[in-house]
Amino acid sequence: MAISLIVLCWFVYYPIVDNFLISTTEEDIFTGEVLHVGLANYERLINDPVVWRALWNNFAYAGLSIVFQVFGAFVLAATIEGLASDRWRRFWRAVYFIPSAISITVSGLLFYFIYQPKIGLLNAALENIGLGFLIQPWLGSEQTAIYAIIAMSQWQGFGYSTLLFAVAIQKIPRELFDAAIMDGAGPIRRLWSLTFPLTREMTGLMVIVTITGAFQVFNEVMVMTGGGPNNSSQVLGTWLYQQGFIENNFGYGAAIAAVVFVVTLLTGIAQLWYTKRRRVQW
Amino acid sequence: MVSTETAAPVKETSIWTAVSKAFLWSFLICLGIVVVYPLLWMAMNGFKNNVQIFGDPFALPTHWSWQNYVRAWNQGVRDYVVVSVLVTVASAICTVMISAWTAFGLTRSKLPGKPIVLIVVLGGLMLSPTVALIPLVKMFQALGLYNTFWALIILYTAFRVPFTTFLIRAYMLDLPSELDEAATMDGASEGQRFWRIILPMCRPIIASCIILHVLFSWNEYIFAMVFTSGTDMTTLPVGLTAIMAKHGTDYSVVFAAMTISALPIVIIFFATQRYFIRGLAEGIGK
Amino acid sequence: MADPDAPVTYEGTVSVLTKFGLEQLSPYFEDLAKKYEELHPGVTVELDQESDDSVKGKTKTLVASNSLPDIYFTWTGNWGHNFVRGNRAVDLTKVIGPGTEWGETFAPAAVKSFIYNDKYFGIPLYLDAKFMGYNKAMFKKAGIDKPETFDELISACDALKETGVTPISLGNKEAWPVVHYVGQLLAYNVPQETLEKDFDPKQADYSHPGYVKALKEFKEIEEHCTDGTSMNGTSYASALQAFSNAQSAMYYQEILEFDQSATKDTPLKVEDFGFFQLPAPADAEGDPKAIEGAPEGYMINARSSNIPLAIDFMKFVTSPENAKTLSAPPYGQPTAVKGVVDEEVSSPTVVEGMQDIAEASYLMPWLDTANTPHVAAAWLTSLQALAGDTMTPEEVVEKVREAAKAEARR
Repeated sequence: MAISLIVLCWFVYYPIVDNFLISTTEEDIFTGEVLHVGLANYERLINDPVVWRALWNNFAYAGLSIVFQVFGAFVLAATIEGLASDRWRRFWRAVYFIPSAISITVSGLLFYFIYQPKIGLLNAALENIGLGFLIQPWLGSEQTAIYAIIAMSQWQGFGYSTLLFAVAIQKIPRELFDAAIMDGAGPIRRLWSLTFPLTREMTGLMVIVTITGAFQVFNEVMVMTGGGPNNSSQVLGTWLYQQGFIENNFGYGAAIAAVVFVVTLLTGIAQLWYTKRRRVQW
Repeated sequence: MVSTETAAPVKETSIWTAVSKAFLWSFLICLGIVVVYPLLWMAMNGFKNNVQIFGDPFALPTHWSWQNYVRAWNQGVRDYVVVSVLVTVASAICTVMISAWTAFGLTRSKLPGKPIVLIVVLGGLMLSPTVALIPLVKMFQALGLYNTFWALIILYTAFRVPFTTFLIRAYMLDLPSELDEAATMDGASEGQRFWRIILPMCRPIIASCIILHVLFSWNEYIFAMVFTSGTDMTTLPVGLTAIMAKHGTDYSVVFAAMTISALPIVIIFFATQRYFIRGLAEGIGK
Repeated sequence: MADPDAPVTYEGTVSVLTKFGLEQLSPYFEDLAKKYEELHPGVTVELDQESDDSVKGKTKTLVASNSLPDIYFTWTGNWGHNFVRGNRAVDLTKVIGPGTEWGETFAPAAVKSFIYNDKYFGIPLYLDAKFMGYNKAMFKKAGIDKPETFDELISACDALKETGVTPISLGNKEAWPVVHYVGQLLAYNVPQETLEKDFDPKQADYSHPGYVKALKEFKEIEEHCTDGTSMNGTSYASALQAFSNAQSAMYYQEILEFDQSATKDTPLKVEDFGFFQLPAPADAEGDPKAIEGAPEGYMINARSSNIPLAIDFMKFVTSPENAKTLSAPPYGQPTAVKGVVDEEVSSPTVVEGMQDIAEASYLMPWLDTANTPHVAAAWLTSLQALAGDTMTPEEVVEKVREAAKAEARR
């Protein structure tokens, strides 16, 4: 136990405390000067329009991911588990999971090509099915860039949560379903009043994981747009990187990191509280 | 006439079921195509050349030569794979050993302070690597570990121990306590109980923890990008973006490199699917 | 601080941080190190070769941990200034300044690019500049000549469009390609002193009307010559590819890219490749003979224990013979040493481009390295917005001015 305590305190907890200290300084790495600026970095944070844009993008990420990767995946999992043949159940679970096994870098680069205005699959496909008017420079337009990235992330992530829901649904005792069918409950009714409440714990867990994940988004944005065009697809993670490592403002980057910390901590606590309160026993 | 009237409702339901079944299957199949087609497209583009990629994105390659794959392999992918394998294996061993030992302490020992350790470990689940990024860079620079394999191994271990411990602990809680009580009676030390009795019994969950860790560290990007900067320290995900930057105009090589990097992990998943799902089923939802 | 002009003792190690980590470039320094060690058996050369992407991060790490090598790579402008501010660079005025034997061997503009506080700090290795590459066959088909004025360029684009090709392929996903267009237009429209004053956040006001004028001219190019706002979703590499594939008639490129645009394997034939300087607009208030481009070079660590030896190694690197190797294939990096690049050594277009650089009255540095990081970021993002039609030229200038003000306050 001691070793994990040391590792965690040294490399996980201490840096978070240190981050707050760094966020009250400004440093010039070339001269080595460190200025203590108090809360000036936080003041700058509030007045920085890109921070608000990034925050909005993170929330959009969280919201859309909850719709597709939690509720969408739940319905999909229930549908798959409702199939009669075990072989097909396994088949679909595995097929939908494949993108989750691939790194975000690969899928990000892949969708970067798919979204390309000239050689991309998406615009070519739209053209072919007569929806040519929808053609966009998906990653190149300030209106669509972040949503194109979020769409890629749904493509990649829904199979993982579907698999977890499938596991949770398998744990519901078979007899409960049989009894519900005897009572004449249709598939939608069974889904809503039996499967859903009995997997609530999993749903709660998935919501936490999804929100926390949405506030740590970095890789896909970095690979696909680098935060552009005009910072429109910037998220907190990439803006932190841009400030800390490109523009040499470690202190300001640390202040942005503090925002990520607060948001993820709050969602974590709120969700733990919620799942505890609404726990269903069987 | 009478017979059709009575038969009608039955027929209607069966048509209804058939229609909904058809709808369901076509939905599953369409979704499957959306999932799989881009990946096939990626692999196929590795066989084309630039002119073909620019020409018709849907066309099949005209000839199946491995030339682009060989070039991608020789122009960096091989080195990235070596680094990725090294970091993945080392951090998987560290993570799983530390986590198993911690979970053992949390469930099977009588040490004081267990609740505090539990809070520290599980609290780590909520902390994100992004928040610690800047302090960690400074710390590793000061320790002289910046741009070394150790940096990645330590970080991958530290940030995966909470989740892995969480999974193994849940599994250990369900193991019967009579076994190690008997062993204690026979005078077995704590270490002996861990290595001889508990660890072997945890094999299924250890297997799924290893798979989950491999999945994580093979694909990790932010630490690998920030904490390493030399070409000989580059892991696959970062290496791919480097290839993209260097061979930006040679798309077929980039596609081939992407396919090579995706393939092993997909194969591992299919080969270990049963273990993986069973492990998750045991671990999550407790 | 040690005297750079002191006699050399050929003993110990020289450590070098280069930007030649790319597979095709790395043998250059490796071979030189080997040769130098053979000449001076007491000396060991330690190389750390980074790539274009990694060198910035690596340098910052080395600076932060006070372990900068004896010789290190630098860009001109703000990046180089950082080392001077931090007292990490040796003042080389005595050995490379005007009138010195070594200094005389370089193109004067190249050495001058590394002047900070009126002193010479850098050793230029090679030169780079931006030119418009064009497809001669396509121009012929459209019945047009190489444009001499800005208006001719615009009408050339209209003529090319009628033949069904994209006049200029431009990919701006990375944001710096448009910054390069604008940099050249600014050099034409804003006088040199004003530009250089505005590079310093403390004095910057960006009030010269040439700024807005240059941005409007860029919009004109965008409208007449490119695929428009979709450029923000296209990478520079695919734009270059479109040019090489003979799908577009022009591509604005660095001299270092000449040999990539047209090869014996590309649909664009080597004999069809030509280039011209982006034509200057009429009534421009800046310098119509300025070219956007900059040398890249090396500095000597002020805390090095053997400064004369480090300087001696760099003299060896920039000797005429080694400069020739650098300029010839496979490296093809046009050296900053005078009188080395000729038809025998490099491809004819590179030689011609080098002559244009030599004749240029001012080398306008890249906007994204000349400015402080914060101001550079403002240029990069707001020019992306300009290209995407979400900001006006006036708003872009305002955004950059604000960034400079914020920088000055800190």
